Amino acid sequence: MLEAWHLPGLPAPAGWVEGRTHAGRAFRAPSLSGTEAGIVAAYVREGALEARAHRATTDVIRAIGAAAARLTAEGRAGIATRELLHVELGWDDRLIRDTLDGMARTWTTDALVGLLDSELGGPAVLDGFVRDEGWEGPGVRRRKALGPPVVLPVLAGSVPGVAFTATVRALLARSGVLCKLPEAEPGLLPMFARLLAEEDPPLGRSVAATWWPGSHFPAAWREWTKWAGKVVVYGGAAAVEAVRGALPAHTDLILYGPRTGVAVLLPDTPQEEAAAALARDVCAYDQQGCVSPRLVYVVDSPTGPFVSRLAGALEERTRDHPPPDPTPEEAVAIRSARATFEFEGYEDGRSAVEAPGESLAWTILASESPAAETESLPRVVWVHRVPDIETLEEVLGPLEGRIQTLGYSGADGLQKLAALATRLGVGRIAPLGSVAWPPPDWRHEGRHQLLPLLNWTDFEAPN
Amino acid sequence: MTIHTPVGYDFDSLAAECAAAFDRWTPGASEWDEDLLNEWARRAFALQFAENSTYGKYCETRGVEPGDVFGWRDVPPVPTAAFRAVDLIVGPSNGAKLTFLTSGTSRGTSRRGRHLIRAPELYRASLRAAFRAFVLEGEVAANIVTLPPSFTHDPTSSLGWMLDDVCAGFASELGGSVVTADGVDWAALDAVVVDAVRLDLPLCLLGTTLGFAEWLERLTDGRSVTSALPRGSKLMDTGGVKARAGLERAAVLTGLCGQLGLRLEAIVNEFGMTELLSQRYGHGDPGVPLLGPPWLRSWVLDPVTLEELPDGETGILCHYDLANLGSVCSVLTEDRGRIVGEGIEWIGRTEGAPPRGCSLATAEVLEAQAHA
Repeated sequence: MLEAWHLPGLPAPAGWVEGRTHAGRAFRAPSLSGTEAGIVAAYVREGALEARAHRATTDVIRAIGAAAARLTAEGRAGIATRELLHVELGWDDRLIRDTLDGMARTWTTDALVGLLDSELGGPAVLDGFVRDEGWEGPGVRRRKALGPPVVLPVLAGSVPGVAFTATVRALLARSGVLCKLPEAEPGLLPMFARLLAEEDPPLGRSVAATWWPGSHFPAAWREWTKWAGKVVVYGGAAAVEAVRGALPAHTDLILYGPRTGVAVLLPDTPQEEAAAALARDVCAYDQQGCVSPRLVYVVDSPTGPFVSRLAGALEERTRDHPPPDPTPEEAVAIRSARATFEFEGYEDGRSAVEAPGESLAWTILASESPAAETESLPRVVWVHRVPDIETLEEVLGPLEGRIQTLGYSGADGLQKLAALATRLGVGRIAPLGSVAWPPPDWRHEGRHQLLPLLNWTDFEAPN
Repeated sequence: MTIHTPVGYDFDSLAAECAAAFDRWTPGASEWDEDLLNEWARRAFALQFAENSTYGKYCETRGVEPGDVFGWRDVPPVPTAAFRAVDLIVGPSNGAKLTFLTSGTSRGTSRRGRHLIRAPELYRASLRAAFRAFVLEGEVAANIVTLPPSFTHDPTSSLGWMLDDVCAGFASELGGSVVTADGVDWAALDAVVVDAVRLDLPLCLLGTTLGFAEWLERLTDGRSVTSALPRGSKLMDTGGVKARAGLERAAVLTGLCGQLGLRLEAIVNEFGMTELLSQRYGHGDPGVPLLGPPWLRSWVLDPVTLEELPDGETGILCHYDLANLGSVCSVLTEDRGRIVGEGIEWIGRTEGAPPRGCSLATAEVLEAQAHA
């Protein structure tokens, strides 16, 4: 059985809780008492404070980069990582390699340095007071930034690597981490934490992670929330509401809710190329991510020709990267969505379904009428025709603040599209083909990655 | 039995012949064998392929034409979602004499499914034959009391139409509908119970599980008259208790049996769907297996591959119902279930797929805004 935990400082676990990933693989984690959770939390806090005292931020970056590199390298850890993701997610090796390669670009030492440069002007401000050159007041002002000693990420989503990302951000903020792992993919972060402990023992002891069923908040949760300076939640509305209701008053909460991805094909789009690029974005993360494009709009031309090309591209992609079987619930929902579009098409001729027969490997639901309704289903894409960008604004208006990334192809009307994206609160506009792989310093949900975790201390002095 | 009239594609005569065959059926009658149903299935499919143009296109897309159908298992099933998308009827839509709406909102859409009924007499023939066999157990009359829904007050309810019809078709000297525009006429129900006890006449009570749950609450807190019903009384519930959190069907039935002096064997569970015009029935609790007339067949498919699963394995239920002659006979549901003996066990609806990852189902957002 998979072990989904990393709890430095914990004596031998007395009991266990068991869960299953989406792919149906059983895993277990210790059933922590409040006392045990408190021991772990104290250990982690101590580890984080020790790392702050004895490690510069550049050391932290080096250790993270080294441990992360081992996850994707060809060595023993890399093999174990791929095996783990295969078991947890049911993905085939090529899809896993592609996904890991994409994620690894944001894990390198250079990428992490770039992130700190982008958001903080470099790592120095995390290690000591740095003179504020823009200060126009009397004397000098210096500034220092630090996260709280402990951050508690709660992962209700299932995109591989999210727990890892949340943990790395907290470590860069010089915080310790108590992480509630996601049920769908609970293994990667514990594996990383063990590698990190090998690279840098004090840093390794500042990360703890475990899992408990999402429907309740056990003694461990109550204990950990007492230690956490900030709680970071990744999940849907129900998960967020549940967590919010189970937190002490005045807890500093950072939320990352579910969002959707949109792709727009401008009138001068090279369709063959765009279809291949979109297929790549759709199949990345097996379309579980908020960056995954689900809604596709073809501006000012019928959907048919593009849908045919996209079908070909998805089929080709699926041959190389077959998806895992959908869950029974997903299978029923996909067939239901297909039936709706197919039967509506028989009546009005404006809707159609493209799919590999009865196989559920991929689905294109096409309509000549603009709409924005989607479900969270694997490798299902909704393609709509819109006459112009103005209509697109009407269609997407209800999703204001809910679109993570807007992918595009073509240049005719791109500035207008960018202006629309800004009005809709879209966090990122990117060419098709790179939608699923945001750069390391991207603004996640339109926000900085590290700044929300940090507290700033301004130090004003006569000189 | 043989089919006497060469009907070609004439719906009315085929429906009349079909209804007559339903009327004649009694459990154990040998004429409704596999060959006969297959013969009906071929003719029904030929009719639906030709005159239900939307369904015809669906079948053509799958490469199935009348010459490919040799029996009921060969008929392409239509997903229930199709009833939410289009009107499925043999002949023009304005040929419908009744329009039933499904109750559910699912998959993030508030659009209710519609089942257009061209021949209510076929619905009547099927439901009465099965009701007589499985609820009345061969009797031709009973002191039927119906709780909501009622077609009189909800002309979109297929269940309401059924309850009104069995009341009209089998009612004896006592009972009738106790439904008003506002719900149950509890005083009328009390009066029927009192009369039944006084006259020692067994009652046959029909309604939804939720309706009976409400009655149980009233019986428990003394707002309704509690009496041991005369021997031979029975109760048919349908619909489950999913709409009420924390309520279990078994608890409702056990409570009612205690209050009304009924044995659990006197409870009949009805399974029906708006998309099907025939029903299944199970006795006692949990009411498994659910048995139906021989023109209603069910099988179970793997939800991912759509391959048929062996008896006993849980999958997605698919039904063939000849009483659906006026729309589509073969229906692929979103229900989980399994084959048990000669019948089925209905396990539950397949709920919408929970979102994976951080991907947003925009349908939920749009639905919420539409209702804001």
